[in-house]
Amino acid sequence: MRNQKIIALAGVTVLAAALAACGGGDDGGSGGDGKTLDVLIGANTQYPEEFQAWQKSISDKFKAQTGATVKFEQFASANDELTKIQTSVVAGSGPDVYAVGTTMTPTAYSTGAFVKMGDSEWQKIGGKDKFNPATLGISGPDENNLVGIPWVSRPFVMAYNTDLLKAAGIDKPATTWDELRDQAKKMTHGDQYGLAVAYKDNFDPWKFVWGMSVQAGNPLVDGKTAKLQDPTVQKAYETYFGWLTTDKIVDPAAVGWTNPQALASFAKGKTGYFALTTSTATNSLEQGAVKGKWAFALLPTVPPGATSRPANGVEAASILSGDNLLVADYSKNKDLAFQYVKLVTDPDVQLDYYQKFGNLPANASALQTLSSDQRLGPVTEAAKKSVATPFTGAWSDIQLALTNVAVQSLPDLAKGSLSAQQIDSRIATAQKSAQSSLDRAK
Amino acid sequence: MTTELLDQRNRRNRRNRRKEPRVKRAERKNRGVTERQRPLWLLTPGGLLMVLVILVPLALALWISLTDLDQYTLRRWIQAPFIGLDNYVESFDAGLLHSIWISVSFALIATAATVPIGIAAAVVTQNKYRGRGLVRAVFLIPYVLPSFVVATVWRTMLQPDGIVNSVLGSEGSLWLSGSRSYWTLILVEIWAAWPFIYLMALAALQSVDHEVHEASAVDGVTWWPKLTHVILPYLRGPVLLACLLATLNHINNFTLPFVLFGAPAPDNVNVMPMLVYVTSFQGLRFGLSAAMAVVSLIIILIPLFVYLRAVRLDVHEEGGRK
Repeated sequence: MRNQKIIALAGVTVLAAALAACGGGDDGGSGGDGKTLDVLIGANTQYPEEFQAWQKSISDKFKAQTGATVKFEQFASANDELTKIQTSVVAGSGPDVYAVGTTMTPTAYSTGAFVKMGDSEWQKIGGKDKFNPATLGISGPDENNLVGIPWVSRPFVMAYNTDLLKAAGIDKPATTWDELRDQAKKMTHGDQYGLAVAYKDNFDPWKFVWGMSVQAGNPLVDGKTAKLQDPTVQKAYETYFGWLTTDKIVDPAAVGWTNPQALASFAKGKTGYFALTTSTATNSLEQGAVKGKWAFALLPTVPPGATSRPANGVEAASILSGDNLLVADYSKNKDLAFQYVKLVTDPDVQLDYYQKFGNLPANASALQTLSSDQRLGPVTEAAKKSVATPFTGAWSDIQLALTNVAVQSLPDLAKGSLSAQQIDSRIATAQKSAQSSLDRAK
Repeated sequence: MTTELLDQRNRRNRRNRRKEPRVKRAERKNRGVTERQRPLWLLTPGGLLMVLVILVPLALALWISLTDLDQYTLRRWIQAPFIGLDNYVESFDAGLLHSIWISVSFALIATAATVPIGIAAAVVTQNKYRGRGLVRAVFLIPYVLPSFVVATVWRTMLQPDGIVNSVLGSEGSLWLSGSRSYWTLILVEIWAAWPFIYLMALAALQSVDHEVHEASAVDGVTWWPKLTHVILPYLRGPVLLACLLATLNHINNFTLPFVLFGAPAPDNVNVMPMLVYVTSFQGLRFGLSAAMAVVSLIIILIPLFVYLRAVRLDVHEEGGRK
């Protein structure tokens, strides 16, 4: 019996030791040979093999420069990324460098877990001047509190079918939302539609509403006040839903489309405009029936119902979209982390990344070399005319609330009618949730 | 001593009456080992794991539900401000009752619908016939497919211009938004979950003694009275247990609604796991979502407890009452 007890005790000890070992530890050290830098980066589902190859080449370059290796960790979605940030912040250990989407940067900033960039930090990565100034717009709440280092841009643009526009006698793409509607009407007949919109997408709808409102002079957040219950927002939703219900320039099936489905529909060559896309769509378009018959254009920058922007309106061609790099405050490899950031924001690596994956450089000189590319012209222009969404930890909630208005409106949209009162009451719900989130913001 | 042990002992005693003195000695020895000197310390590893995996997280969740833990306090989560029951009060304002109603009704309807399908399928595959193995394998397909795959395939089929609408001739109908999404969720859940009832019912059918079938045949019972008066009573215990487990599985199913409808979900399918997920990982209100999870747990536990006490599940005829 005594033996059994000893064996059991040993078993318990081994178990406890194994569980303790699960806690893991840091690699430690401050750079150089034998060290490992942990980088969290979004998975590229479009070009997975090329992405692996890119990681290998960066890892090799980094090893040659510093003697340290880069270990890439991939996340599948923004939610996965957020979960990883949360667990790392709580544990005080995890990736050294995070590639974070621009709209998630305020949320990451609000955790206070990332290095604030001072002069010496900017110096380590080659200076603040090397970036396209617009891309720094969502790096922090103000000049003195920047955490995000711009890495790549994915400004939003429209794509249009050059043949269909020409056939309808339209010589240049629309620059105002009203013009876009009128042109789309001209192209809508039979099984052909003027506009492709992804109404069921979980990220698209708020971008339209934010853009139209900002152009009309309402940035949606004013200090600690949410300004969703506002005529500009109402008008934006009415326009956005109206394309389907009153103007009938969108395929009714679009109530079920996510962005890739809308892209696929446009690529079939039977739609005039695809309202919201980025340069990463290039390959898909080149493989579709629309091959050789499409071009990018800036999204309209004049609010609906107007022919010119009001005095307080902003020329927002796109949200400031792309990825920022953030260095974790708990990292024991900060110097190495900045060396990595320097490497991937240098012009040649940025251009190589663009060639492979279609993400625009955040590096100003690299971006400049692309502006000679005619097809890319509108995209580089959009990168310069991108405007940052409000920098508040409440933004993810506000975004969610704006999207929710569209999500709950889909059944009415499918029926083909959506009254102003219905929109109004859903905006009121969104306003309540946005304001409560702003009240909590610190 | 439990009734189960008493029953067993009585049966043994009757069978082995002639060998009574030896049996008595053995019994006394057995009882001594099993009751007085049970080596309970052998449970330590399992107990330790239970504490680590279940009790500690539960206690943490309870603690977090009383604090104002969000993105701003996450970094020093131990020092998150204690706010008492505020999160619980707020959770009722944030649509928790609506979500509980959706979850519970959805789970009950899904269970009620899967039981007849599962039992019918079990009865159909009980007797031997050519190709029975194949039919059994096919019946299990929905169960072995990962929830993610099931939801993705159904989501594709239920698009406004998808195959379901073209077969039904209802082009443009929305299955994944609005009030119909509730019934979509139930339909897909039924499709994916009925084989569980089928498996449990089949297992119960297999355990029906051969003599019962013979006796029915000797008495000349036709198939319907045999099914309703002889076979189905055998299924009662296992199927009730299956109902209980299936209902809990439905209530806790997150993958299916998340993949089918995405987040934010339409109000009609904003089930409890979705609400807790969105509050936690999109709204970053960990304190509030922990309170929601605790309320949900309590609300599910009450009827579950009452139910368990009331039916006193008989899983096996010889298993006795527990």
